Amino acid sequence: MFQTILSRIFWILLLTFLQVVIFNHVHILGYATPLPYIYALLILPSNTPRWLYILIGFCLGLCIDTFTNTPGIAAAATTASGLVVPWFLVAFGPKDLGDDDTLRPNHHTMKWGPFLRYAFCAVTLQCTLFFTIEAFSFFAPLDLLFNILGSIVLTMIFIVILELIRNER
Amino acid sequence: MNTLLDFLRKYNYFFVFILLEAVSFVLLFRFNNYQGSIYLTGANAISAKIGGLYNEGVAFVGLRNRNKELTERNIILEHQNNTLRETLARLGHVETTTEHNVREVLRDFNLIPATVVSNSAERINNYLVIDKGENQGVRPEMGVIGGGGVVGIVYLTGKNHSLVIPVTNRKSSISCRIRGGNYFGSLQWDGKSFLRAYLDDIPRYADVKPGATIETSGYSAVFPPGIFVGRVLSVGNSKDGQSYRLEVQLGTNFSSLRDVEVISTPYKVDIDALLDSAKVKDEADQLNGLGL
Repeated sequence: MFQTILSRIFWILLLTFLQVVIFNHVHILGYATPLPYIYALLILPSNTPRWLYILIGFCLGLCIDTFTNTPGIAAAATTASGLVVPWFLVAFGPKDLGDDDTLRPNHHTMKWGPFLRYAFCAVTLQCTLFFTIEAFSFFAPLDLLFNILGSIVLTMIFIVILELIRNER
Repeated sequence: MNTLLDFLRKYNYFFVFILLEAVSFVLLFRFNNYQGSIYLTGANAISAKIGGLYNEGVAFVGLRNRNKELTERNIILEHQNNTLRETLARLGHVETTTEHNVREVLRDFNLIPATVVSNSAERINNYLVIDKGENQGVRPEMGVIGGGGVVGIVYLTGKNHSLVIPVTNRKSSISCRIRGGNYFGSLQWDGKSFLRAYLDDIPRYADVKPGATIETSGYSAVFPPGIFVGRVLSVGNSKDGQSYRLEVQLGTNFSSLRDVEVISTPYKVDIDALLDSAKVKDEADQLNGLGL
């Protein structure tokens, strides 16, 4: 239990660090910026209370905001993701799970297909919210769309890489 | 109560979400100039919109009272307008030559100004009603004149109103003469045109031409002599061929008569008293056998 918590905290800190140091400086073609820190929410076990999802989302977002000088943007987006991600997990997770069973989402427990769909939904939501709040208007809708689509693709790539790294130890 | 608590417990994460989103957006608007300015602009626009709607609502609710006030005000102004128009009509009246002449003639007489309040100008026996009566000193058989000359004779009097027989009534008969030549006749109306009357019994040796002035003779004590009546339009023969019958263009327009004056004759009482005493004397003489 304690180890799980430590592991989660480690992942959160690691993702924050990676985001701040590496991912935020990625601007492929000026548009696509990966936001793989959402991975920290995706890997929470299914018995996590929903308020904790939201709180973790908020704290994660706030950390990112603090170090990337975007106060509130990531926090708002990630908090909203924290509200919705558990529903995605129920929707895409295995249906034959008992009430007491705890699902630890990864590509072993969920198979690649459902896990990628689960991740894709969450990432789409996160990227859409993040870039919409950042733009805060639909002044340049096409730019916004390219931003979101490119970031979704890039974030999915990095989430797959992280998933492989985490579970192939 | 328990249901409420259960509800709160079940959806506690939702309140956490709302709270944290609120914190996020406060941070967003507080520390980001761009989003903050957009938020302020938007918030201002929305609050202005709401304020505008509220004002419109208040104005709409107040419309009933406003409407009532306006109606009252309208009535007051209408009334004022009418009063002013009347005053203007009275003040803007230009004195005609006839009026001037008549005034010269009537300098010694007491004139009672009056206004025509009822004027029947459609029937054969027309009457006028004026807004002065016994209380103002009007008595039956007083003469009435207007801006265009003779109007008629007071027939009946009430407290504050009087009935006048105008020239344009078949009962009317006013003693007239031709100015400059002392030929007398009585003015009659034939019931046809309000602009014309006829002067009968003018002797055939009279020198009358169309355009001659007809004025009152002063014989009846109702009108003093020399008040304008009209002008001769044409000279014709009377039915029996013994005298002239003059067609007279009346000076007064009876269909638009409004302001008139009643001549309060100081002499009439004298004349009547004389006539009465003469009658009494006659009767006394008859009784004494002197009349035989």
